[in-house]
Amino acid sequence: MEQMITLTNNGLRTRPALAGALLAATCLVPAAYAQQPRDGTVSKSEVSSGSLLLQSSTPGRYVEAPLVAADVKMDIAGPIIRTKLTQRFTNPTQQWVEGVYAFPLPEGAAVDTLKIVIGDRFIEGDIKERQEARIIYEEAAASGQRAGLVEEERPNLFTTSLANIGPGETVAVQIEFQDKARLDNGVWSTRFPLVIGPRYNPKPTFGLTADRTGRSLSVTDPVPDRDRITPPVLHPAHEPTGTEGLRLPVNFDISLEAGVPIADISSQTHGLVVTKSGADGARIHLKDGEVPADRDFVLSWKPEPATAPTASLFREQRNGEDYLLAVVNPPAIKTTAQRRDRETIFVIDNSGSMSGDSMDQAKQGLLLALNRLAPTDEFNIVRFDDTMELVFQTAVPANEQNLARARRFVSNLEANGGTEMLPALQAALVDNDRKNTEEVRQVVFITDGAIGNEDQLFAAIHDGLGRSRLFTVGIGSAPNAYFMANAARQGRGTFTFMDDVTKVAEQSAKLFAALENPVMTDLEVKLPADTADAFPAPLPDLYAGEPVTMVMRAKDVTGDLTFSGKLNGKSWTMTLPVSAAGQTTGVAQLWARAKIANFEESRYTGMTMEQVDAGVLKTALDFHLVSRLTSLVAVDKTPARPAGEKLDTRQIASMLPKGWDFGAVFGAAAETRALRFDQLPDGVMQKINARATQEKPKAEHDLALPGTASGWELMLAFGLSLFVFGAALLRRGRSAIGLRGQALPASVGSVRATSARDRVS
Amino acid sequence: MCDWFMRTEAFLATAKDAPPIAPKPKPPRHASPRALTAIALLIAGALIAAQALYIPAKAQVAQILMSNAWEHQLSTGDPARPWPWADFTPTAKLSFPGQNRTVLAVTDAAGESLAFGPTLMAASVKPGARGVAVFAAHRDTHFAFLKDVKPGDEIAVELPDGARRFRVTSSQIVRWDASGIQTHDGGAPRIALVTCWPLDAKTPGPMRYVVWAELIPEPLSASTPSQV
Repeated sequence: MEQMITLTNNGLRTRPALAGALLAATCLVPAAYAQQPRDGTVSKSEVSSGSLLLQSSTPGRYVEAPLVAADVKMDIAGPIIRTKLTQRFTNPTQQWVEGVYAFPLPEGAAVDTLKIVIGDRFIEGDIKERQEARIIYEEAAASGQRAGLVEEERPNLFTTSLANIGPGETVAVQIEFQDKARLDNGVWSTRFPLVIGPRYNPKPTFGLTADRTGRSLSVTDPVPDRDRITPPVLHPAHEPTGTEGLRLPVNFDISLEAGVPIADISSQTHGLVVTKSGADGARIHLKDGEVPADRDFVLSWKPEPATAPTASLFREQRNGEDYLLAVVNPPAIKTTAQRRDRETIFVIDNSGSMSGDSMDQAKQGLLLALNRLAPTDEFNIVRFDDTMELVFQTAVPANEQNLARARRFVSNLEANGGTEMLPALQAALVDNDRKNTEEVRQVVFITDGAIGNEDQLFAAIHDGLGRSRLFTVGIGSAPNAYFMANAARQGRGTFTFMDDVTKVAEQSAKLFAALENPVMTDLEVKLPADTADAFPAPLPDLYAGEPVTMVMRAKDVTGDLTFSGKLNGKSWTMTLPVSAAGQTTGVAQLWARAKIANFEESRYTGMTMEQVDAGVLKTALDFHLVSRLTSLVAVDKTPARPAGEKLDTRQIASMLPKGWDFGAVFGAAAETRALRFDQLPDGVMQKINARATQEKPKAEHDLALPGTASGWELMLAFGLSLFVFGAALLRRGRSAIGLRGQALPASVGSVRATSARDRVS
Repeated sequence: MCDWFMRTEAFLATAKDAPPIAPKPKPPRHASPRALTAIALLIAGALIAAQALYIPAKAQVAQILMSNAWEHQLSTGDPARPWPWADFTPTAKLSFPGQNRTVLAVTDAAGESLAFGPTLMAASVKPGARGVAVFAAHRDTHFAFLKDVKPGDEIAVELPDGARRFRVTSSQIVRWDASGIQTHDGGAPRIALVTCWPLDAKTPGPMRYVVWAELIPEPLSASTPSQV
C-alpha cells in the first residue's frame, strides 16, 4: 500500500485532483480500524512473566486473571452451623475491575449477611428485591463507589459481584449464612461445596403453531437463566501449580461444639488437623492449609455411642416469637415382617460430566445393587446421556440370565455426551402396574446432577410419581446436592452420596438399607399450639437410619412436642418438653429458609406462581434472606474510582471439579480451543464484557460506534479511473514509443561506437 | 559405419562454416517516464479495483461459509469458527421479513469482523436481555438495506438458545462518539442496528444511523417459517 502511494504519487504529479482522491481512498480502509477499544485486555508481549492470563473474547488479547481466595469460618453448635465466608478478590491488572464470581453453597444455606471489607472497615449490606438491588449496585458501580451484590441463581448456587477493585488491590466481601448439620445413622455431617460442576442445559424446545398469519414458532427454554449458571471454566492444564500458588485457594477454620462427647471427627475428602478442646469440642483445620476449590468438603463427627441422644430440641426467641428446631431419632424397632417383592428401575447417568472416577463409582454401585436383588424381584436399567437406552423393554425378573445381561451392559458403559435427564426420568417413572400396592416400586437414580433444568425435573417427578419412590445417588467430587435432596423429597425417597471410589461398598450400604427396609409411616408431630408453622410440610417418609428434622414457629410455646409414627404396624411415641430446649440463635433463619423452600415446592401442588412469588418475597424480606427474588447489596458511600477511569468486568472462571474430564464435558473441539494459543489459558466459555461505565460528562457514557463504511464503491471507482487513465496514457505513449522503436538501432549503434571510442582514447 | 562418420564430419564442417552465433542485441528499452507512469497506473488501478471488489465479495462469501458454522452451532451448541483461522464465530441470525433479508451476525473481533457480517459489539447485552444489544455493519455491504427498514417492521434475532422478535420503534442519527447508547442501562430489552450516515455517502464521516427495535414481549413465538 505504502509503495503504491509513492508510485502513483510520482506518476501523478501533474494531476493533483486525482492524487487527492487517491489519498482519500487509501485512508478509507484504515479509518475503520482507527478506533481500537481500550477494553482492559493485554497482548502477550505486554504482560510481565508469571501473570495468569485468560484469553479474552478478542483473539490475541488476554486478561490477567483475578484471584479469589476464600476463608470459611464455621461455628458448629449441635446441629446448627453458622458460617462466615470471606471472598478476597485480588485484581492483578492495571485497570479498575468488577469481579463476578459464581460459587456454590450448601443447598439449605440461609444467607442473611453481606459485608464489604475494605482494610478494617466493614460496609454492611441490605436486603432488597432482586431487580432493585441490581439497580442500586449498577448505579454505585458506575459512579465509582465500591459495591457488593449477592444473588441467588439456585438454592445452592450464588453469584457475588464486587465493583471497583483498584489496580493491584484486594477487596473482600463477607457472606454469612445459617445451615444445619445432617444426621445419618448416628453420624453428623456437613457438606460444603467448593465448585459448581459445569451444568448441562437442555436446548430450548420449539413448538409449531399455526394461526391466521401463518406458521409460527413458540420457544420454551427449560433453563431461562442459562447464562447465569454457567460460569466460565478454566482448563485444568492452565491452573497454576506448585510455587505459583492457587488461583482459587480455600481455607477452613471450624469450631465444633457438638454438645455431646465426640468419639471421632473425620473428613472423607480432605486431611484434617483436629485440636480437641474438652470432650465435646474441637478446633478443626485442613492439613494442607489452603486447598483448591475443586471439590466438596465433607466433615463428619460421631458422638460416643453411649451418650448419643435420641432427640434434641433448640429454641430461639425473636421478635416475640419462638422458633424451634427438633432432631429426633426414632427408636430402633425390630421388624420381622416378610420382605416384600420389589420392582427396581435403575437409572444411570453416562454423560460427559460423569467420565473418570464418577463413572467407575456409579458402575460399581450399580453392580453391587444388582447383586442384592432376589429372584422374585423385577428390575430394569435405563442409561442416558443425550441419548437414552433401556436394557429391557419392561421390567424383567431378576434371574441369572437377565442379571448377566444387565451386568454386561453396565460394565460396558462409557461416559460421553450431554445430559438429557428428563426423558430418562420419565421413562423410569412409566408404571404399567400402578394399582399394585403389594409390590414396592423403586427408582434408583444415579447421577452427578450436573443439569440446569431442575424445575422441569421436579415437576416431572411430582406429576409422574404414582406409587414409585425415587432414590437419588449423588456421584463424584461435586454433585448438585440441591437436585439430589429435592428430587428425593419430591420422589418421597431419600438421597445418598457416593463420592469416594474406594468406599463404594460402604457408601452404598446406606442406600441398600433404605431400599430394603420398611419405611416409617404415619409420621406425625403434635405441637402445643395449633397455630404453629412447621416445616418440612408434609413430613417426609422416613427411611432406616434417618432422623426426623423439623423447624417450627409458634407464639409463647409451652408444654410438650409429641412425635409419633408407625413402623411395620408397630407404633412409637416420643415426647419432648419445650422447657428442656436449649437456647440458641439462627433457628429463625433456618425456619424462614424452610418456609421459602415450602413456597417454592407448592408450585407443583396447585399454588399459582404469583402466590409463590409473594410468599417467597415476603418471607425473604422479613428475615433478611437472599432468595430467588431478593439479593443483598452493599454500597460504600465514598467513591473509590477516580473520575475518568474505566471499569472492566471480569468473570472469575471456575475450576473443573476434581476427577472430571474437560474434553468429555465440553467436547473435543472446545478442549482444543482451550489448549491452544501457546498453552495460554483460554476460558472456553470466558465472557469478558468490556463495559463502558465511564464518568460524566454523559457523552463519555455512550457506546462509541465503529466506522461502518467499507468504502468499496469509492475505492472501486478510484481504482477503475486510475486504470482508465493509465490505459489512456499508455495508448498515447505507445505511438510515441513505436516511432522511436524504429529509429532505435541506429542511435544505439552510435552510442556504442561513442563509448568504444571513449575507451580507446 | 564409414558413411555415418563422414556424414557427421560433413555436418560438423558445415557447422563450422556457418557464421558464429552471436547474442542478438536486445532492442534497448529506453522506457520513457511516461510509459512507466502509465504501467504503474494500470497496475495500481487494477490492484485497487480488485481490492475494492474483494470487499463485497468477501462479505457475501463469508456469509455463505458462516451459515455452515451456524448450522453446526445450532445442532451441537458449540460455537464454531466459519474457517479455521477466523477470529470470530457467528452469534445470531438476523431476519428482516419485511425486506426479505437474512444475515448472520458475528462476534466482535476488534474491527476485523465488520468485513464478514454485522458485528454484535462486545459491550452489548445479549439480545433479549435488559439493555441494548448493538449490531454494527457497513452501510455498503450487510446493512445496505437498512434504509428500507421502517418503524413497525419486525426483526427476528435467532440465537443458539432460541429466537426473539423485535419491532422497529424509531431511527435516529447520532455522532459516533455521542451515540446516547448505554448498553447496560437495565431498560427494556432493545436492539440497535448501527451503520454510517449518510447512507449514500461515499466518504467516511462522523455520523451514524441507528435503527432502534424493542423486544416483542411473551409469548415467545417467531414467524420464521424458514426455521421450521
